Amino acid sequence: MTLKETFLNPILKGNPITVLVLGICSSLAVTVTLKGALVMALSVTVVCGLSSLVMSLLRKGIPNRVRIIVQLVVVALLVILVDQILKSIEVTFPIDKQLSVYIGLIITNCIVMGRIEAFALGNNPFASLLDGLGNGLGYGLILIVVAFFRELLGSGTLFGITVLSPEWYTPNNLVILPPFALILIGCIIWIHRGVIDKDLQEK
Amino acid sequence: MNTNGNIYTIVYTAVIVVVVAGILAAAATFLKPAQQANIKAETISQMLQAAQFETAGMNNVQKLDKYAGEIDRAFTIDARGAKVKDLNVSRNNIELVDGLKAQNYALAGKGGYSVGLPVYILKDGVTVIPCYGAGLWGPVWGYLAIEPDGCTIKGAYFDHESETAGLGARIKDDAAFRSQFVGKKIAWGQEPRFDIIKGGAPSGQQNAIDAITGATMTSNGLKGAINNWLKAYEPYFNGIIAAKTAEEEKK
Repeated sequence: MTLKETFLNPILKGNPITVLVLGICSSLAVTVTLKGALVMALSVTVVCGLSSLVMSLLRKGIPNRVRIIVQLVVVALLVILVDQILKSIEVTFPIDKQLSVYIGLIITNCIVMGRIEAFALGNNPFASLLDGLGNGLGYGLILIVVAFFRELLGSGTLFGITVLSPEWYTPNNLVILPPFALILIGCIIWIHRGVIDKDLQEK
Repeated sequence: MNTNGNIYTIVYTAVIVVVVAGILAAAATFLKPAQQANIKAETISQMLQAAQFETAGMNNVQKLDKYAGEIDRAFTIDARGAKVKDLNVSRNNIELVDGLKAQNYALAGKGGYSVGLPVYILKDGVTVIPCYGAGLWGPVWGYLAIEPDGCTIKGAYFDHESETAGLGARIKDDAAFRSQFVGKKIAWGQEPRFDIIKGGAPSGQQNAIDAITGATMTSNGLKGAINNWLKAYEPYFNGIIAAKTAEEEKK
């Protein structure tokens, strides 16, 4: 795979949510508003990219017996840094508060550890960085698509700006609840297998 | 080199942990002032919203400006209602009381330490006081704005750490819940001083509002928080009401 493919493949064709079906839990939780989804998408992209880079740099010296623990420490470090930075920027402070535990829970996001195990430990640092960023962006893309529909139909707003006037549109409360996110993701996976990658269909 | 030896493994993990701890400590120290500025602006915004000022869309500077423009004086009081010390209210050095948690423990007699009960008095005579207590999953806290008569509530604002979204979280998110407080009266000297009633407050009861359906524990926690703190503030407000009555009799 070329470097370009390493970066672009996980965004569409090998998307971590629609193909690997990883990171579903947080994508149900943080997609009520577009702002939250955008901050979450950026945070995961940064954490995934940098943790892959760091682990790739360390890969030759890590004692195999404590490999997973070292991965956890590196990922946790990056997540805490991202959380602290979000808390100290005026614009992201309220969004960080709204996302509450879900920023911290990036540590447990299977995509991050999955990419380290599957890619970063066996490839050079630059390719690992691109792979991590690509997977983060692929995750973020789905998050933003889901959040677009959930905020539009659930609150009648986009980025907090009223689009569907409450005078003639009654916000749909089902859309706000997590099950609807799962339905939406199901539809996205369906579209992905029907249009983008037909090879994934069962024969 | 053998990367699987015991000594190598122990030294490797020790070095990693020390380096990570160092980075985190440095980041926490470096970012603390900015985080505290955000928290301060948020606290101020909550107090202003309790007093029915709109702060949506304001940035931190505007919030601080608005507070400095509206505040008349602020000070802390002790359990007998006597003033302990003044709090600075000038724009560039706004002083707030933090440590409501410790104060809450002290009020409940569970240890903790007193940071003093803050009283924030706005230019129109409205007094803003905090409250703090335990919700279902974590702390709930908020601010009550009380009219110059010492018992009518002008407004309230509540926040929480981790109440259930859509249920307990409505103490913050649901404007209709908060607006119930407007115009209600605190029954000083009675138990409870302010009631949040499951199943709906009887119409005509001046010191009660409806609890949130499906969030009984949060509603009870909030009721406890409000009443514990009102009890602590009672001597102060009794003093104000007595002074008002004496003034009117003189006329």
